[in-house]
Amino acid sequence: MPLLFAIIATAFLIAPLFIVVPMSFSTSTSFAFPPEGYWLGYYRAYFASEDWLIPTANSIVIAFCAMMVTMLLVIPAAFGFVRHRFAGKAAINLLFLLPLAVPHVVAALGYYGLLSRLGIVGTIFGLIIAETALSMPVSFLVVCAALKGYDRNLERAAMSAGAGPLRTFFWVTLPVLRPGILVAALFAFLQTFNESVVALFIGGRDASTLPKKMFESIRLETDPVIAVVSTLLTGIVVLAFVVPVLFRRKPAYVV
Amino acid sequence: MSFDASAGRAPTPVYLRLTDVVKTYDGRTNAVDGVSLDIRRGEFITFLGPSGSGKTTTLMMIAGFEALNGGSIELDGKDLARSRPYERNIGVVFQNYALFPHMTALRNIEFPLRMRHFPKSDIKKRAEQALALVGLSRFADRHPRELSGGQQQRVALARGLVFDPDLLLLDEPLGALDKNLREQMQVEIKRIHREIGITTIYVTHDQTEAMTMSDRVAVFSGGKLAQVAPPLEVYNRPANRFVGEFIGDSNFFEADVDPKRPGWVDIPAIGPVRVAEDHGRLPSQGTIDLLVRPERIKILTANDGDHMNALDMTIDALVHYGDSVLAIGTSRGRPLRMRVAGTPPAELKEGARLRVGWAPQDAHAVARS
Ligand SMILES: Nc1ncnc2c1ncn2[C@@H]1O[C@H](COP(=O)(O)OP(=O)(O)O)[C@@H](O)[C@H]1O
Ligand SMILES: [Mg+2]
Repeated sequence: MPLLFAIIATAFLIAPLFIVVPMSFSTSTSFAFPPEGYWLGYYRAYFASEDWLIPTANSIVIAFCAMMVTMLLVIPAAFGFVRHRFAGKAAINLLFLLPLAVPHVVAALGYYGLLSRLGIVGTIFGLIIAETALSMPVSFLVVCAALKGYDRNLERAAMSAGAGPLRTFFWVTLPVLRPGILVAALFAFLQTFNESVVALFIGGRDASTLPKKMFESIRLETDPVIAVVSTLLTGIVVLAFVVPVLFRRKPAYVV
Repeated sequence: MSFDASAGRAPTPVYLRLTDVVKTYDGRTNAVDGVSLDIRRGEFITFLGPSGSGKTTTLMMIAGFEALNGGSIELDGKDLARSRPYERNIGVVFQNYALFPHMTALRNIEFPLRMRHFPKSDIKKRAEQALALVGLSRFADRHPRELSGGQQQRVALARGLVFDPDLLLLDEPLGALDKNLREQMQVEIKRIHREIGITTIYVTHDQTEAMTMSDRVAVFSGGKLAQVAPPLEVYNRPANRFVGEFIGDSNFFEADVDPKRPGWVDIPAIGPVRVAEDHGRLPSQGTIDLLVRPERIKILTANDGDHMNALDMTIDALVHYGDSVLAIGTSRGRPLRMRVAGTPPAELKEGARLRVGWAPQDAHAVARS
């Protein structure tokens, strides 16, 4: 039974790919399915069009910066949160997770008001701030979980080996937490890269992101280039998950 | 009679000295409550006691991971109070190994050498020697997850020893291993201790481990030291009822000292029994606890003289251990345990009533606490 559910769920998740991927190679000028013929013309169009490449670059820059800022904030926050007891801890925890509960449209309105007062609506900088706030909750949860599972005796072992706090952190704590931190960073990157509502509200013309461009492309013109973009994105994400698995050495257990 | 604090003071030069060490986590109760203890250079001392009695806390204070709330710890005449854990030269082995998962066995062992700035040429040599010492040379390039529990514990031991520490602290290092492996590792740890002669503090709640490995045993109870003595003395002459019951199997009788009849005590419902003068430091009056180990009780025959203390025992149950039999029964309504070594005699049956007894010098009297 669980297997059946798993199959159904997987089918729902990947079914769109069976339409989008063939369509990206289509010769048709609309979203006709199945395609009448196949060619690479729309791929050429994508890589030749500034209208697509600039939002792509924007998205990458914004997602990368938001990811970095998120991690710089979330890692110390998680340490403070997991390791120390302080008054109002539960309230602060709730506050940190609030962005998960607020609909993005509402959050976007809020950011619009705030950022326009600061004069940074429609800038990449403004978007980075807003997207960072949105990606923090999940990254925070992931790092907290990793930290809770971290055996503090490792730090004690490092100290008795002669390592001070700084060397203990960089030689032992950080490397051991690395998988959790990488997952949190990946979440932050993808969340920001894919986010469209806030990007639509405060992206403006100068800070147009890829999701915003795709949204507009669907609304204003029925341009099959969007199928190309979708295919490329899916391919990159799949690679990001599959490559590490393929290259991980699986050591055999020998007594 | 309370435990005589001076018994914890070693006669030969002191290497590690704990004086009135106190630790409280919550500000109300003392996890460690006034521990004073002297340890000689090269000694193998075991902290033995039930869970929660303050053994780990004491060890962590020696290592420098926990601050003292009172008292002092001196190593080789120097107060440790102001030195941080990484400024001390103390090796620690944790129960859960605490190996660095992202480093190979060799890297784990090299880690203290790198952190302590040993010369490059020395690092590889020393690490390889340490691996050889614990018999793991072949496994240098394995990560901890590729090693069995016993092998991981050996790597942890090598990592704790490799930088020639002043002290080696082991916190229940064999707690997670199965019985055969435990015994093998006990022998191994003793061998290593003999070979390099490092001053070692070994924490365990396993009395057999404490008995077989230690030069001295420090028995913890509720954050205090109940007794510090060589294993046989702790077994044969426990300082109080707690120690006697915690270590080994025991019969304890409450008995009244009769000031008018030296050499005799009176066990209510059983009657007067003889005690050897020198064997329990008896008060001149009051109530004492009389300890008789089950293996000191034997079935009496016609040949046994009347100097033996004799009782009638009703056998309720027999527990066969192969090399011995434990008879559980009662005498005049009081529980009594007797251990008979070797093949049990024919008359030792469930339901039997036997004449049993012990020699006066085989009992040990302690004051009531
Ligand atoms: N980090 C800690 N925080 C609060 N209480 C602790 C901590 N560590 C130990 N304790 C308490 O201190 C007492 C002694 O614990 P411990 O030294 O671990 O005993 P043992 O090692 O003999 O089992 C126990 O009551 C335990 O609950
Ligand atoms: Mg403990």
